[in-house]
Parts: sequence; C-alpha cells; structure tokens
Amino acid sequence: MDLVALEKQLRSLQTDAATRVAAVASTAELDELGSSLLGKRGAITEILRGIGALPTEDRPKIGVVANEVRAAIDAFVRDRRVALSAGELRDRIERERVDVTTPGPAPRLGSLHPIPETIAAISEIMSTFGFVVAEGQEIEDDVTNFQLLNIPEDHPSRDLWDTLYLKEPGRLLRTHTSPGQIRTMQAGGPPIRVILPGRCFRYEAVDASHGFEFHQVEGLLVDRSATLADLKGILDELAKGLFGVAARTRFRPGYYPFTEPSVAVDVSWPGSKDGWMTILGAGMVHPVVLENGGIDPETHQGFAFGLGVERIAMLRHGIPDLRAFLENDLRFLAGFR
Amino acid sequence: MRIPLSWLREFTDVQLSAERLADALTLRGLEVRGVERWGANWNKMVVGELLEVGPHPRADRLQLTKVRIGAGPILNIVCGARNIAAGQRIPVALVGAAMPDGRTIERAEKMGVASEGMLCSGQELDATDDGDGILILDPSAPVGAPLVDYLGEDVIDVDVKPNRGDLLSILGLAREVGAITGAPVNYLSRPLKEGGDAVGANLALRVDDESLAPHVVLRLIDGVKVAASPDRVQMRLKAAGMRSVSNVVDATNYIMLEIGKPTHAFDRAKVGGTIHIRRAKKGETLETLDHEVRNLDTTDLVVADERTALALAGVMGGAGSEVSTSTTSVIIESAIFAPTSVRRTAQRHSLRSEASHRFERGQERRLAAVGADQVAALLTEWAGGQVRSGRLMSGVDHVPVATLSFRPSRVRSVLGVTIPDEEQIALLASIGIAEDPTADLAKIAVTPKRSVSAEKGSVRAVRVPSWRSDLEIEVDLAEEVARLYGYQNIPTTIPSADLPAHRPSPTLLRDRVRRLLADRGLHEVVTHALVSATQAELWSEPTSLVTGSLAAAEGTAGGDSIVLQNPLSADHDRLRQSLLPSLLDRVDANLRYGAISGAIFEVGRGYGSIKGTPSEWTRLAIVVWGDREVGAPGASATKWSLDELKRLLAQVAHLVGERPTYGAPVDSAVLHPGVNAAISGDRVAGLLGELHPASPKWREEPRIFIAEVAVAGLRSGRVETSRVSLPPTTPPVQRDLALLIPAATTVGEVVAVARTTVVRATEIELFDLFAGAPLAPGERSAGIRFTFQPTATGVDDEAISAELADFEIAVLRACGARIRGVAAQ
Repeated sequence: MDLVALEKQLRSLQTDAATRVAAVASTAELDELGSSLLGKRGAITEILRGIGALPTEDRPKIGVVANEVRAAIDAFVRDRRVALSAGELRDRIERERVDVTTPGPAPRLGSLHPIPETIAAISEIMSTFGFVVAEGQEIEDDVTNFQLLNIPEDHPSRDLWDTLYLKEPGRLLRTHTSPGQIRTMQAGGPPIRVILPGRCFRYEAVDASHGFEFHQVEGLLVDRSATLADLKGILDELAKGLFGVAARTRFRPGYYPFTEPSVAVDVSWPGSKDGWMTILGAGMVHPVVLENGGIDPETHQGFAFGLGVERIAMLRHGIPDLRAFLENDLRFLAGFR
Repeated sequence: MRIPLSWLREFTDVQLSAERLADALTLRGLEVRGVERWGANWNKMVVGELLEVGPHPRADRLQLTKVRIGAGPILNIVCGARNIAAGQRIPVALVGAAMPDGRTIERAEKMGVASEGMLCSGQELDATDDGDGILILDPSAPVGAPLVDYLGEDVIDVDVKPNRGDLLSILGLAREVGAITGAPVNYLSRPLKEGGDAVGANLALRVDDESLAPHVVLRLIDGVKVAASPDRVQMRLKAAGMRSVSNVVDATNYIMLEIGKPTHAFDRAKVGGTIHIRRAKKGETLETLDHEVRNLDTTDLVVADERTALALAGVMGGAGSEVSTSTTSVIIESAIFAPTSVRRTAQRHSLRSEASHRFERGQERRLAAVGADQVAALLTEWAGGQVRSGRLMSGVDHVPVATLSFRPSRVRSVLGVTIPDEEQIALLASIGIAEDPTADLAKIAVTPKRSVSAEKGSVRAVRVPSWRSDLEIEVDLAEEVARLYGYQNIPTTIPSADLPAHRPSPTLLRDRVRRLLADRGLHEVVTHALVSATQAELWSEPTSLVTGSLAAAEGTAGGDSIVLQNPLSADHDRLRQSLLPSLLDRVDANLRYGAISGAIFEVGRGYGSIKGTPSEWTRLAIVVWGDREVGAPGASATKWSLDELKRLLAQVAHLVGERPTYGAPVDSAVLHPGVNAAISGDRVAGLLGELHPASPKWREEPRIFIAEVAVAGLRSGRVETSRVSLPPTTPPVQRDLALLIPAATTVGEVVAVARTTVVRATEIELFDLFAGAPLAPGERSAGIRFTFQPTATGVDDEAISAELADFEIAVLRACGARIRGVAAQ
C-alpha cells in the first residue's frame, strides 16, 4: 500500500460516507453509522492500519489527510443529526398530540356538612374575642338542664322546652346547650369565655323549620365587668362575621329564665329576604345561675347567648327546609364547597 | 294573645297604627307575632240600607228587598231571612264577592226574580255564630262603605312570655301601651246592681286547703235568660280567637280576656247547697265540658258540691253543671288557685285551657272579687237577671304591697350605660312601678334567697304593682329599666380583655380529619342519633374493640341501649350505639336518589348505659359504595374495595402518627365474616369490612364497605406534637423477601413477626401477594419489602442480615412460612 492508494481510499470513504450519512433516516441509525465510520473499530481506523507499510516520511502526510476526512465525516454526521433531531422532535410532537379540550375525568368531590361547618364558622369568629370551644354531654339530668338554670319544676317557663325523657327517672336528652353554662362554671372560675356547640333534642313534630334533633351553639362570658353593652358589641360582631360586614343587628327584650335582662337579636343584611330575622337569644347571666355555678353575683357578672345552628345555616345558604340537613342527599351536600 | 285594637282603645288612647304599635311593643319585649286585619277577606261586601222589604210573588219563605249601597244603583236582592225590615242597615255581598266559606256570589234567578247580591248573616261572614238571621248593623253604619272598614278590626298577636301572666289581658297590654304613648289607662268598672236574697241564703262555700285555693269568691245571679251574645260581643270574641258559646259563658270569657281573670259559671240548679273546693277522691271521675270522662287523681283539685266533683279547678268545668238554655240561675266562681296545682292537673289530663294557661302564670289576688263582680255586671247586661246581694268568700282578698330595693349604680354597671338615678325612677314610674320613699332600704335581694346590705344613700326602693309578681329581685328592675330605656339606646362596646387561659380547640384534630376525608372525595353527613330498635340491633360496638387510653379519651362503647320514655315515634325511640346504622340508612336513601356510587362519613357519638351510668363516645364512621374514582375517558373506574378503604384509614391514622394493624374478623351480623377486620392500636382502633351478604342492606352491586373507628383526639382534641429526626444524606437500603405462606397463616401474622424481629426496619410493606399454580392450593407467596435508613455510621449490613436471619427462623417457627428468595436494592 502506498501513500497514493491510501489517500485514495480515505477520500473515497469520505465520499461514500457523505452518501451514507445523507441516506440515514433516524438518529439511532446515524449513531450506529457514525461509530462504524469514526469509532475505535471504525472504517478510518481500519484504513489507517495500513499506515505501517508506508515510509516514515509519508506517515504525517497521510495523518493530515485522515484528520481532514475524519473532520469532514464528523461534520456530515453532526449536520445530519441536527436535521434528523428536528424532524424526529416534530414527529414525536405530532405522534403525542392529543385533544386537550376534553373535559378531563370528573373527580369525586367531597364536601363538609353545613352544620359542623357553621359551628366552625361561629367558633372561628368568637375565637378572635378569646372564646374557646368546649363540648358537653348530650344526656343530661333535669337538675342541670332545667333547675340550676332557674327553671324550677312545675314552672310555666318549662313550656318553652318540650323534652325527650329517658326511661331512667331524672335523665333526659338536653333540650338546649345551656346546661353547659352550669358545667363550665362549676369546672373552673372566671374569667370565662367559652363556646359550647352541640346536638340538642326536643319533643317536637318535624316540619320545614323544626326537628327533634338540632344543633345549638351556646356562648358564655363571665368576668368582673361584662355589661349588656358588651353583649351587644360581641353579638354585633358575630352577626357581621356570619352575614357580612354590612349586616345590621337589632336588640330587643326577650325572655329566658336563665338570663336577665334577656335579649332577642334580630339581624338584617343586604340580600336578606324578610327584613329582621331573629337569629339568637341572649342576656346577662341570671344571678341565680351564677350562684348555681359557684360564682358570686356580687363580684362577677357576664352574658350568655344561644343560637340555632340549623337556622343560621338556612339563612346563610338560602336553604328553605331544615329537613335537608338530616336527609343528607349527596346532591344537596355536593353544593357545600 | 290576640288583641283587637278597638278593645284596647277602650282602655287607653292609641293613636299609632297597628304596625307602628306592633313595632313599639316588639322593641319593649312584647313580641308581636303578627298584625292581622280581621275581616280583610270581606271583599266586595258593603254596608247597605234596606229601602223596601216585600213579599216574593211565588215563594212565601222568600222576600224581595231593595237595597241602597251608596251612590250606585238600587239593588234588588231576594232574601230568605225573616228578621229584616225597611230602614235597617245590613251587610251586602255584591255580585262577585267571595264568601269566607268559598262560595262566590253571582247574579241569580230565585223563583223567577233576579237577585243582585246577598244579604249576609253573621255566620256567613264568619263574624258571629248566628246563621238564622241577617246581621243587623247599627243605624249609624255608613251606607256604601266597604264592610271591612266598618266592622273590620286590626288584631295584633302578642307572644306573651311565661313570666308575664299579667299581659294575658287587654288591660295588661293597655298598661304597656300607655307607658309607650304616655296616655292614661282607664280601669273600666261596670256598675253592679245587687238585690234580693243574700248570696249565702241557700249556698255555702267550703275550702279544704287554703294553700291550694287561697281565695275564692262566689256570686249568684237569678233570673237569667240564656241566649246568644250581642253581635258585637260575638265578633270581638272571634277576633280575639275565642268561640262564642252563650251570653253567660261569653261574659266569663270576655272578662277573662279583658282583665285576665278566668271565672267559671255553674248552672245553680245542677249544684247542691255547698261549693266545696277539695282534692279529688281516689277513683272519682268527672266528665269535663269537652265530654271526656276524666279519671281523677288525689292530687287534682276539684270544685265540688256535697255529692260530686263539678269542675277541675282552674282547668275546665264539668258537663254535669254546664250552663244551658234551660239555666235560669248561675253561680259565678272566681278563685285564686295555686299555680303548680293547676299546672300539674292540666298536664296530667293533657288538658290545656285558656283558664289553666292563666292560672299557671299566677293570678293577682284582688282580681277574684273584681272578676266575679265584672262577670255579674256583664251577665245581667246581656242575659238579664238579678245579682244576689254580697259575695261568698274564703281566704284573704289581698296581699301586702311588696317593696323592692335596688342600687341604681348596679343597674348602670349591669347595663353598661349611664342612666341617672332619677331617670331610672321615672322610667319605672311610667309602667306603674312607683318609688316608695318610706321603705326600709337596707336589704337588696340579689337572688330570691340571698340579700346583701348596701349603703343607704346608694339605694332606692319601689312598690311592686300587684300584677307584677315577676318582680322579685334587683336585676328584675334592671331589666325593666333597660326595657323602658330601649335596648337600641344602650351603647355597643367590646368587653375588656379579661381573658381566660388558652385551651386548644377540641375540634383541632376532628377538623383535620374531616377536611382530609372531604378532600379525598367523601361527603360529610350528620345523621340521627335517635334510631329505631331494628336499626339499633343491626350493630353495636363491643366494649372490647376500643380499650385502654384510647377508650378513656374517646369514650368507652357498649352497655345497654338507652331508650326514650316519650319517643315521638318508634323510628326514633332510642339512642344509637354505633353510627353505622344511621349511615347505612342514608346510603339507602341516596341509592334511592340514584347515587350508585358514593362515600360518606360522620364524626359523631354513640350512646350507651354502662352499669346504669350513661356513656357517650365519639367515633368516625365511613361508608363507601360503588366507584371510588371515575375512570379517564375510555378507562375503567377505580372501585371501592377493602384495600381502598384501608388506604383511606391509613391516611386518617397518619394524622395521629399511627399505622393501623388489622386483626382477626369480628363476629357481627352487619359485617361480612370473611371480609372484615378488627383494627387495634393505641391511637386508632375499631373495625372495617364489607357489608354482610345476609344483611338486609347488602347488594350485589354496588358493594358497600364500612368502617367505624375511634381516633385519639377526635373528641378530646389532644393532638401530640410529633418528634422528627433529620434524615441521613444517603438513600435507604431495601431488602425484598419472598415467603411461602401456608394456608392457615395470615399475612398479618407474618408482618407481626417481621415487626418484632426486624426492628431496624423503618418500613415493612407487603408489595406482592400471589396464589395459584404453581403453588399448592391455599398456599400464598408474599413479597415483603424491608426499608432501612442508614445511621450516622452508614449501613450496618451485618446487623441487618442478622435480623433478617432471625426473622427467617422466627417466621418459620411461628407461621410455618419459608423464605423463597432474597433481593437487595
């Protein structure tokens, strides 16, 4: 093998490579071809094996040619790779293209029930005024549910609560969350700021606005100086928290045996249907109740309030019938996000 | 209490419209439930004047009339009533008028004569109970005026609270109205003419127990003629919501509504020589006016004569001594009865009457005589007769005037508003609570049982009006001052920051669990705590399921079912012990509503009586059915399964740092014996499973899975703060073991052995489970992956291998399981 023959071989490899590289259809084939031409065991290396037969002075010359050919083939491959990649990327994109406008599989969306959520909303508003949440027992006794709340046996005010009694004498299902006032006061002295939410029971026929099981939230504040004016302030904030800052409140005298003076609170807000809606009952804790809770009414005073959770939820969500809450139709519940 | 305004105006001048008056009363604490225009349904009815009344040419029982109705044409109206004459003014229903009974008046031919309207009886107008004749109006009635303008009446309906029995009367309301308007209140007193024999000539009064009947007054009236009451009286009673009976009975009801004093009229001829007020005898019966025969109890107080009980005192009269058209002589009984006694009797006999309602709320002592006299005066006005001289009386006719001391400064501090002493006194005076400058001021009643002393200069005293027995203690006056001052005039303040110590909310964890489940696609429900016997029998949580500190914190389940004494219905006659029956009931409902897939949960209570002590426990119940997730278009849906439910429970358990452990199935009629497991743990315990195929709630499709667990902190709110160590910078090492598990062994047993022997593993999970050929029947191959976190000194391969070797020996010994292969990653 002489210099000329070798050079010719290399040049013809270059020409041949140009054709073959141009003919390659994928980057994978190109990789294969590239290494078959340029790799350690590739065509160039193969040709250069004949270099040993050359005279020493010719060897650098053929080295220059080999490098030229290598660089040329490398350039063919690189250029071809650029061209191929762009095409392949285009192909991939086209291949993977989908109709992105499909609505997507519907998720199963859960919901939180409006009754616990309304209780949570009330607790959250009241917590900003330092009220903490506590929960009492639903099975009560006559003494705590009535007598200690200044509702003696055989008193006509008992007509305000139709009671479900247990077979066991003296035991009943609490008719309101108010016995929690007594239990809270007995458990620890003032200052007290507590919210007592929970389920209550009454002997009551079911209709759109009544049920024999319902929920109340009781609030109790006892310290040395709480006044009726403070009661108005706190409950005005509560109403605004529940019905928006534009809500207005109206306070008027009410009657509960365990508060005096007693208060009924009406609220009106932009979008409320019928003007003033009564949302809660409240009042200054009756001195007899303070005493029954172990607190001296000469040194401490406070206020309490109670509201019907179902009623608040109905007003807030525009629900016309309270029975929906216990019906638990998933289509109804799905509305509560 | 329904108050016709014309009646109220007899007691005080009212210039306000009914609506303005209603608002003013409501703001004073006398809540007006509604304002009604009584007679508003008299459309196309006017006052007419009879110009001519003549015979009908073809019908003897009909008359032809010509009626003037103001400016319009004269109407020819055929009428069947006989009580009409020319010149009278009468109600005319014009053509097109809709009668209260639903009829519409049309132009009609009556025996050949056209009739252009109808003359109305009181009954046809629903104004009186007289259906026999036309309602003859006063000659001054304005001809042509709409009838509602002339006879109509504004009626306000006041919700009288139990402490204000004095407001169950027109007079009582008039006092409140007077305080609002400043107009004086007239105490009507009808003159009474007495004569003839003394009342006691052949009638005696005997009262056994003055504590039950402290004061009784009897009047006797002879020569009465029982008939219907005057039309205006009937109309007034109707407007006030009472039925007209007869002039005698109406007189008692009229006075009851007017001054709040119930009285009772007996037919003298049906009563013996003595009115005896006593307790009923054992076995005694009484037929009350509603014609129910009542079995009396010895605690019932009765009005009797020598022979028999005549009336349930304060509740209802008896049929045997009822006033009838043949009555000529009437005994009026006007008594003060003990409120508690009347209340108990009314309750025992489920017999609430207008009278018992008022007696229960207490009666002003002096009204006994006033009531008897006023009824006698009205009765003779309407029914004629002669009132016998004098009254038969027992007991004391008045009680001493009570005085009440109060500290105006205390009123200010309770209300949080500066109302000067003199203004407080003036406000109280406006409602008849006058200052008593002579009273001994030393004692202030803080509660009915406790008085405190106060410095002389800081105290004022008032006389409590006889009708205000609700005013007993100082704060009662504070409420009066606030009420009269106007709640709207009290400022709105925020209480000073006298704050209690912080306590974490008991709903902290509960709310996290609720949110987690809602985020996983479950709907929260709130279901009945009261269930039926059938539901309760479906499933109740055994005491053994949740134990130890978890039971102490979340409540111990079990015990006997708690049953109501007075249930509303058998569907809700006892408290549930488990939440699941209530939830399954809601699954039924939702399947009916078409929800073929769904997932619901409730955090709620179970109830039981454990050795006579009621217990309430808090649990999380979950019921899932059908598809868990909708599949992508073209792909199939993920269905709810035991594993999917376990995945959910693991997420809940993670919130309290627990990994649920599933043990042997529990024995239950509601749970599939082969597809349920007890969950045990310190922080999560309970059960899960599929519904029992024999359960009435079971379905082939969709399959229903349920769980009920106690979770530490769900009730108590106590959430432990977790301790966390920093992870090493190198990745964990894993070792996979394949085990052959014999038929009798559960995966749970194998994993339990792994947990006790391979203590270095931070995670032990089952990643593969396989049964079938080439394995022997019942045999299973389980792939268990152990994860080891490197320590500071790196991975201790030797120690790990030693533990795994221990496991291999232990699992073979304990479970008969052999290792098939090991792989390291």
